[in-house]
Amino acid sequence: MTHQIDARGLACPQPVIMTKKAIEAGKDCVVIVDNEAARDNVCRMAKSQGCGTAVEEEGGCIRIRVTRGEDRKTQERATPAAGPTVVVFPCDRMGQGDDDLGKVLMRAFLHTLGEIAPRPDVMIFFNGGVKLTTDGSEVLEDLRALEKTGIRLLVCGTCLDFFGLKDRLQAGTISNMYDIAETMLSAGRIVRI
Amino acid sequence: MTDVAPFQIILFDSTSEALLAEKLFKKAGIPHKIIPVPRHISSDCGVCIRFFSSDTERVRSALAGSVTVRDIAPLA
Repeated sequence: MTHQIDARGLACPQPVIMTKKAIEAGKDCVVIVDNEAARDNVCRMAKSQGCGTAVEEEGGCIRIRVTRGEDRKTQERATPAAGPTVVVFPCDRMGQGDDDLGKVLMRAFLHTLGEIAPRPDVMIFFNGGVKLTTDGSEVLEDLRALEKTGIRLLVCGTCLDFFGLKDRLQAGTISNMYDIAETMLSAGRIVRI
Repeated sequence: MTDVAPFQIILFDSTSEALLAEKLFKKAGIPHKIIPVPRHISSDCGVCIRFFSSDTERVRSALAGSVTVRDIAPLA
């Protein structure tokens, strides 16, 4: 039986929230609302969630049939593969365009990693990215705090050597291309900064 | 620096001003950290500087006349 949601008399965004919960619970539903704004908001949200909508109106009562379509089912199948989440840092800046801005963004990003979920399982630093882990880096405090939560920090030894920074490592452990390549290829998800 | 200490954040009109202010923080030897502007203050992508509440007066005088400060607020 189709799930029915009577959202008449409820203030925005209540009808939208109730509909979204039903969609997320895997149900097709009929939502009853009593005004056009609620109708439009519910329809817009349903479409954004990959659902189809059909609207019937009679006597001030609006019935919206929300059907979970193929798009939605595809979205649900696209769950991340099993395996650790790996964040890689090929550079000590975030993005390209301006180096000073890139450094600030990197600092903000690493601060934020410590504040949010989900956390990565492994962080890998190579090429210019190793400079984040050595003396004088502005993000050492963040990296050490992340390391303490159990995240593995792998730092490319070849790269430290190249930059003459091997004896100035302050966070993470020196690693090699075997570990780095294996970790990346057995990852469930790789986030490249 | 520990997160139990009471912090203030200082907001600027632009990222460039935040960077300029950071130089002045360093020059004055005031402990600080660049962090994203908390979501409850602004949903824009911006950075601000976090510092210990006890340094508020030092911060004000270090930046006076050099940087336009939009706001100083407690970090909730």
